[in-house]
Amino acid sequence: MSGTPADRPRRLGHADLGLGVGLRSVHFDHILRTSPDVDWFEIISENYVDSGGRPRYVLQQIAERYAVVMHGVSLSIGATDPLDIEYLKKLKVLAREVNARWISDHVCWTGVLGRNSHDLLPVPFTEETLRHVVERIRIVQDVLERPFVLENPSSYVTFAGSTMEEHEFISRMAEEADCGLLLDVNNVYVSSFNHDLDPVEFIRSLPHERIVQFHLAGHSDYGTHLIDTHDSEVIDPVWELYRLAHELTGGVSTLLEWDAKIPPFPVLHEEVLKAKRFLGEQLAEPAWDQAPSVAAAGSPVPHPLHHIRPDVE
Amino acid sequence: MSGKAPGLDVVQQWFQAVVTHPGGVAEGLAGEGAQRLIRLDRADLEQVVRRSGNLTAEERLSIYANAYWARLLECLGDGFPVLRSALGEDVFDSFAFEYLQRYPSRSYTLDRMGEHFPQFLEETRPPGADWPDFLVDLARLEWNLAKVFDGPGVEGRTLLTYGDLQGLAPERFASARLVPVVCLRLLAFRYPVNAYYTAVRHAEEGEAVPIPDPAEELVALLRRDFVVRRYTLSRPQHALLEAVLAGAPVSRAIEAAATSQVDDDTLAAELQAWFRFWTAEGFFQALATG
Repeated sequence: MSGTPADRPRRLGHADLGLGVGLRSVHFDHILRTSPDVDWFEIISENYVDSGGRPRYVLQQIAERYAVVMHGVSLSIGATDPLDIEYLKKLKVLAREVNARWISDHVCWTGVLGRNSHDLLPVPFTEETLRHVVERIRIVQDVLERPFVLENPSSYVTFAGSTMEEHEFISRMAEEADCGLLLDVNNVYVSSFNHDLDPVEFIRSLPHERIVQFHLAGHSDYGTHLIDTHDSEVIDPVWELYRLAHELTGGVSTLLEWDAKIPPFPVLHEEVLKAKRFLGEQLAEPAWDQAPSVAAAGSPVPHPLHHIRPDVE
Repeated sequence: MSGKAPGLDVVQQWFQAVVTHPGGVAEGLAGEGAQRLIRLDRADLEQVVRRSGNLTAEERLSIYANAYWARLLECLGDGFPVLRSALGEDVFDSFAFEYLQRYPSRSYTLDRMGEHFPQFLEETRPPGADWPDFLVDLARLEWNLAKVFDGPGVEGRTLLTYGDLQGLAPERFASARLVPVVCLRLLAFRYPVNAYYTAVRHAEEGEAVPIPDPAEELVALLRRDFVVRRYTLSRPQHALLEAVLAGAPVSRAIEAAATSQVDDDTLAAELQAWFRFWTAEGFFQALATG
């Protein structure tokens, strides 16, 4: 995968899988019954690695018909606790079983001292963190023996001790560890709003040939800040950023996440198909100060968060 | 805070202590756990976490603190939906809030978060009262339903049929061992929580289901075609299946079922009906002879 950006292939040589959606258990029956014309599925790895029941059985059937990518939330690549090698081995087994095109997780940590907050917690962007994360990515790649991709999470704080911006950290991380990037366009928008930064600069400054996948999702607007709730449509400013990212990368696998107030599958599918409007059109510089989404209320739970309920007679 | 910038390990332990503190961010910041790591006055928080144009550093940390509890309470409640409806959301959440402090998640999967919840309810029960048995038993039932649903199963495998038993000489059957399906679990409750679970599922939306009086209820769970099946058992049936699960030969399992209330002829007739039913329902993987 190494080489200079100029001679490196787009997407690090990985396939453009097209327009996919996140696999959620409420859609299992619909997908098995109708075989919808969706290009690919992304799974939440933790929902399947230990499954001996219906979730894994359904996944096996889906993997026979569709391309599958594994997306995790518990790797905790940025944590100072040791990596969970048993968990990594389980990822590897599942990846082989479903022929996962690549395995992804987030540039974050989820807990220390043995605990898991089940949240994607922010790291300070320092040289120390960069060395630490790069070293751990190399270990993960050695264990998984499959393409490994990391995503920029939504974040709600920044650290006074950070010595670089997130986009610089991610760019250097990807180059030094020689890994792919999953660019979550909605997360760029959410974090940039929360940290008073420019999402266009973020997207422009990444090593575009390392971007293997895009994420799209909806978020909630609390006026003073945005939260990545994955519970609604993608808003227009995020689509505009997607248009820019598409232009800069030449197009990569695109996936819509929807984790709360999950609509019927056709609605979900229709939402990701909106991406077609932004592919191959005349591209314009996005105006990121457009009107944001409808104001939200209540107790927000940032996602991804997904729990499969048992079928009991 | 003074001197050298804290290392990544210190920042992470401090952050975790602050945003998972049950009293919220302000208490978390002032708490011993956080202060031991980074000695910091509340007014100096921006030395570690920046403010944004709209929010103070403390408000920004509160987003993580609120999300931590909201997420875990929601997930724990999803794992025990009938218990949550029996208690009401507020009471359930207050139990769950205490539980998560005593048993914070230590696994990569949310599916294990409720692992100690029945035990926690037992540990924290008020002395002298019986009603906590209902909560503990209902929690145990729901935890086991989830485990059977997504644990190992026997879908796609050939199971023992009643016909397999019919051709056997009685003494051969007696000395053999029934191999239960891997997903078979036996449970003994002090309250009829399985019947309660059924009643709640059949209730109209908003219809209250009364908490039952205490009574022994013995239940078998297994999974067939990826759906969890529930069976109420009599005491002899439970005793027999318990012996099977313990690996006893059929003769010893039948002895366990024999009681002074039932004569041999009646028991023999019942055994035939039980085995016919259990094999039809997929209780046994095989019969190990020899």
